[in-house]
Amino acid sequence: MFTSRLLSKRSINSARRFISTSHEDFDVVIVGGGPAGLALASALGAKQQLESSVKIALVEAGDLSQVQNWSFSSGTFSNRVVSLTNASQAFLKDTGAWDHVEQERTTPIDEMQVWDGISDARITFSASELGVQQGMARLTETLNLQRGLLRHLQSIPAVQIVDKSKVQSITVDETPGSWPLVHLDTGRALKARLLVGADGLNSPVRSFAKIPTYGWSYDTQAIVCTMEHPPKGPFLGPNTTAYQRFLPTGPIAFLPISPTASSLVWSTRPTLATALKACEPSVLGCMINAAFRLPDVSIRYLHDRILEAHKAGKPITDEEIKAEIHWREQSHSIDWTSAYSSVSANTTSSLGVPPSDAEMMPPIVTSIQPGTIASFPLRYNHTETYIGEGQGSRTVLVGDAAHTIHPLAGQGLNLGLGDVECLSSCIQDAVLRGGDIGSYTALLPYTQERYLENHKIMSACDKLHKLYSTSFGPLVQLRSVGLEVLNELDSIKAAIMMSAGSVSREDRPLSYSSDARAAFFDMAAKGVENIGSAAHVAGIVRGGLANLAVTALQNLATAAASSQQEQQRKDTR
Amino acid sequence: MLPTRLLRSSTINANEIAHFSRLSAEWWNERGEFSFLHKMNPVRMQFIREKLIETAYDEQPEEKVNASKVRILEGLDILDVGCGGGLLSESLARLGARTTGIDASESNLAIAQHHASLDSRLSTNLTYKHAPAESLLSQSKRYDVVCSMEVLEHVDHPAMFLKTCAELLKPSGHLFLSTISRTPLSYFLTIFMAEKVLRQVADGTHTFSKYINPSELLEFFQTYPPSTAPGNTLLPWITRLYDGEPTRKEAEVRGLIYNPLSASWILAPRGAWGAAECNYIFWVRKPALDAMSS
Repeated sequence: MFTSRLLSKRSINSARRFISTSHEDFDVVIVGGGPAGLALASALGAKQQLESSVKIALVEAGDLSQVQNWSFSSGTFSNRVVSLTNASQAFLKDTGAWDHVEQERTTPIDEMQVWDGISDARITFSASELGVQQGMARLTETLNLQRGLLRHLQSIPAVQIVDKSKVQSITVDETPGSWPLVHLDTGRALKARLLVGADGLNSPVRSFAKIPTYGWSYDTQAIVCTMEHPPKGPFLGPNTTAYQRFLPTGPIAFLPISPTASSLVWSTRPTLATALKACEPSVLGCMINAAFRLPDVSIRYLHDRILEAHKAGKPITDEEIKAEIHWREQSHSIDWTSAYSSVSANTTSSLGVPPSDAEMMPPIVTSIQPGTIASFPLRYNHTETYIGEGQGSRTVLVGDAAHTIHPLAGQGLNLGLGDVECLSSCIQDAVLRGGDIGSYTALLPYTQERYLENHKIMSACDKLHKLYSTSFGPLVQLRSVGLEVLNELDSIKAAIMMSAGSVSREDRPLSYSSDARAAFFDMAAKGVENIGSAAHVAGIVRGGLANLAVTALQNLATAAASSQQEQQRKDTR
Repeated sequence: MLPTRLLRSSTINANEIAHFSRLSAEWWNERGEFSFLHKMNPVRMQFIREKLIETAYDEQPEEKVNASKVRILEGLDILDVGCGGGLLSESLARLGARTTGIDASESNLAIAQHHASLDSRLSTNLTYKHAPAESLLSQSKRYDVVCSMEVLEHVDHPAMFLKTCAELLKPSGHLFLSTISRTPLSYFLTIFMAEKVLRQVADGTHTFSKYINPSELLEFFQTYPPSTAPGNTLLPWITRLYDGEPTRKEAEVRGLIYNPLSASWILAPRGAWGAAECNYIFWVRKPALDAMSS
């Protein structure tokens, strides 16, 4: 009686049903040949325990042989770079893919300088402070990573790469538990025990599985390009410091990739992004230098000038913008020897003793590599779950298909690689216990472990973006107190860096990030000690509203002190 | 429904079968009635896997044991008594065993068969039979491993059921059972909370008086095969207990504990205090031929 109901088949997308007559069976079908999809294929394929028991296909619309044969002459760099945290690197080393990534095209980040665009309050993170040996993260071009992963996949027979194939539709029989069928425009059809959506922001797999997603677009475009600059001067050390300034229009980041080249990620208003891209490239170079150096009021003025000129149909010229910047520098009494001067200091930047504060500014950009200027809109997106259910069962999402994030902390791909690491070990566990890797039960630990972890970092980045995109006075003062206080509190800083993934995930047990909890308790303990010094820092800040904060902090300090005294009294008793 | 003739000569309880037949369509709904069993399955499989690897290390030179291979059960004949929807049977077959699942409910088996047909890799080494365990005794086929998970607390004559399972094993064969202890804690968790309060398990699934304690299983195999039988010179399966615990090579009792926070089961360590007060898994080994004749 029930069999007749169960066996009656109805395709969800009946129009596509008859396109392909036969299909091939795979245990895992990964849709999307971006870094996350490739990393998953290589991680699963590299697991020797799985032998031939997991047959994998990776579907990609583009031509992956182009990525695999990608080569750039040394000194020129692609405009899309990724910052790989130590945790992500450890994972890639583990799977063996890291050996195929060209090391000459990677740069360690030994220090990060982050400051507020309005108050100039600054925090410095450094690897040596943390006791990490080889940098807090490593920067490389996305293409270098993708090419490395593809080369690694060459040695793995269990993975079949199906590129130049677009997913046309995904169908499934009505029978619960049946496998989804992926129809490709080449006429092939792949049946998947587990269908992985690594297919980015507009994931077709996600829409097939009907997994709801929640998010918003920031009214922001990220401008990227590869910048050229002279090597750092004799007293400044190698080009391994990342700089980021939080302007009210969005953060601008300077990411080193070689001694004389760095990558830009500048999040700003869409209108300004359009206007800047319409100018000659050297205008963007000047604006980058100015954006790191001039006070906010002047940057706002320059932005207005560029927008006006763009509106009038005559994009601002190189000479005009230089004259404007020079004039603004004079009005802030920045002379040509200062570290804050960009236009006048051009010729002398690599000679002699550097000016004071030189280490607080990135090198001066002299030119932009041709053809590298691009921009893309920024979004925040998080799906409600990573596992499909009901008609969409046997699907799982990783990387950008599950979450997109503001790039201000450079965490997007690292979250994706964290997903991939967790999912691949989850699949291995299930296989070794005879489980069905497409089942809800087998995938549940993946979503349990990753969802909250990702959400924590995503909301932190979102809040940071919103906190810094205001120039509303009291908030600026409060947040600069925040940054100054942060600089004082080593334990909080360590906790931030930990969530930024500079500690290998390998050191943590899979199900609970106990170190994060340990850091929390450490932080809480030190926090009590440091509330006093925070109040001291806050006291320096003037302004009515800030005083409120001071009073609050001082009250807290008093409370903490009295509770400490009480504790001591108890101890002595 | 089963012919009454069969029911009289077996341990099967007609009411229990009717109960599970009603629920049969739910077997593979991982979020439904049987979600607890779905979540327990990986832990049961982990125990089976680890125990078989442990005995392999005891009996073979170390370099011959490949503990990390997926198809660890390759070449073994395994019988899953009371397979229900086939949760355990499918997993056993995926690890390479020639698996036979039997159940007294025809609708359960139809579900199991249908579900297995969805996975093309299962067709070669997984078969289902609608038969009570007792009916297999008349055939000559014996098994390397007999599993019966969450069944013992539903049968009518547990001693007779255990005897049947034991007889279906080859010498040196492994018997795996999982069931529930008869304790106040198990009443509270499996009947009061699971069935009456939270209603996560269908009311009437469990009957408290049918629960069996680990000590009762140990006791059974200490006197099995019964020495009173005429001409019996065989040693019992469990020769001695130390502080109520069997030796590692003869039998093992491990608690299965549900952690509601992570919604998953944990396999408690051997000898953990109080771990087997509710759900537990039991393993016992049939002595080898030479040991039996001595």
